[in-house]
Amino acid sequence: MVAGPKSWRWVTIVNDGRGSDSNRGDGSSGEWRKTGAERLIQILELMTQGRNGRAPRTLCATAAEIVGVSGAGIALVSSGGTFTRLCTSNDVSAKLMEIELTVGEGPCLDVCATNGSLSVPNLLSYEDPHWLAFAPLAGSSGARAVFGFPIRIGAARLGALSLYRDRSGSLTDVQTSDAYLMASVASRAILSMQSGAPPEMIATELEHEATFDFAIHQAAGMVAVQGSMSIGDALATLRAHAFSTSATPSALARRIVARDTFFDPVTRDWRELDPR
Amino acid sequence: MPRESLLVTTLVELADSLVDDFDVIDVLTMLSDRCVEAMDVDAAGVMLASPGEELQFIASSSESMRVLELFQIQANEGPCVDCFRDGNAIVNHALAEEDDRWPRFTPRALSQGFRSVHCLPMRLRGRTIGALNLFNSKEGPLDPDDVVVAQGLADVATIAILQHRSSLDARVLNDQLSNALNSRIIIEQAKGMVSQATACNMDEAFGRLRAFSRNHNLRLTDVATSVVDGELGPHALA
Repeated sequence: MVAGPKSWRWVTIVNDGRGSDSNRGDGSSGEWRKTGAERLIQILELMTQGRNGRAPRTLCATAAEIVGVSGAGIALVSSGGTFTRLCTSNDVSAKLMEIELTVGEGPCLDVCATNGSLSVPNLLSYEDPHWLAFAPLAGSSGARAVFGFPIRIGAARLGALSLYRDRSGSLTDVQTSDAYLMASVASRAILSMQSGAPPEMIATELEHEATFDFAIHQAAGMVAVQGSMSIGDALATLRAHAFSTSATPSALARRIVARDTFFDPVTRDWRELDPR
Repeated sequence: MPRESLLVTTLVELADSLVDDFDVIDVLTMLSDRCVEAMDVDAAGVMLASPGEELQFIASSSESMRVLELFQIQANEGPCVDCFRDGNAIVNHALAEEDDRWPRFTPRALSQGFRSVHCLPMRLRGRTIGALNLFNSKEGPLDPDDVVVAQGLADVATIAILQHRSSLDARVLNDQLSNALNSRIIIEQAKGMVSQATACNMDEAFGRLRAFSRNHNLRLTDVATSVVDGELGPHALA
């Protein structure tokens, strides 16, 4: 599917910052796309080899381009509730993230608090008392509409994807679906990153993995109990072990569920049972 | 119980559970169970499309690995994928080794003892949001009345997923789908924790989560979330 040199940088800003708003649909309802798999391939292509000879995109630049908005940012949240910037796609989105993390209000924080998406199509007339500081500052930085989507894997809340646009208005149905797809890709990319997979491997891993593999989630639950760790840490630990043993996360998960492999809480390392 | 009585009971049960702040996974699991009881099928399950149009497993009449694997494969190929893509029902599809329509799905389904498969689309105003999948271990066609019943139950499943029917903009619909599918992941994570902590299998772990939610009048997803977040010890469920 995806050929060519694999390289993907996390924080390098390569987006032209304008997105492709003019090419989008008119937002009429019933405008549903049936090509999720094709869209995913397109995302992975942007993240690995770029398009039209351009440099590979970061996760945020890919999000901005795929959804067709002015810019994107991703904030990670620690288990203690601390937010940090993972990436932003251009100067304005970097500024928005800085404002949000400074004043302590904004799309990423709201999305993580409610565990649901957020749409503010007209930022300048947004009168939510929670955003008294963020809205005017974001507006003077050039944002007119702001959107947010949770980045999560089951009960593991990893962070949020925020999108902005330099003119007001809602996202179209297709843009909304694309934003969810992008948040799902981001959740898996973040886990891969946390598990220590080198950046050039991450898109390749994403390409070969189903979004939902029940064995991986069951195994993560088992490892969380075995190692007395959070579900997010268990997911990352599982992936790291798969990566270091050149196994797929799916194959390792099935061995864990079959109780052939387990995480030893004493040595903090993996052990094999039933050597065959 | 005769089938007509069972259907009436099922519909009353569903109507009852759709009133409150219900749990989608719990309702769809119940619906899958009732499919097996009311129709001549051996297993039933529901797959939903994510906002990114990827099909994902959401509920089944069986939590056993062998049945779940059949839904897992259908993220890529199988009757649910075709049914979802075309929006048409697949009824009485006999599984045969020489059939290469679904090269990964068919051999696996055969090895699990299934001989025929059916799939009904879950449609909403021209958009297909998922599919109801039925498995038979016997050969031969489904009773024509069963097909009508199955499509009716698929339509009920659609209503169950779309809780806020009055305001169906794309973001609300996508939030519903995204939350339902994320709930399934939380439940799998909780099953793993219960299974590990209490040395039971995944099937039993699911049964314990469900029994606890019933007995304490809590939503299944909330119980699973409490377990994964460490607020409810897996041993408390037993």
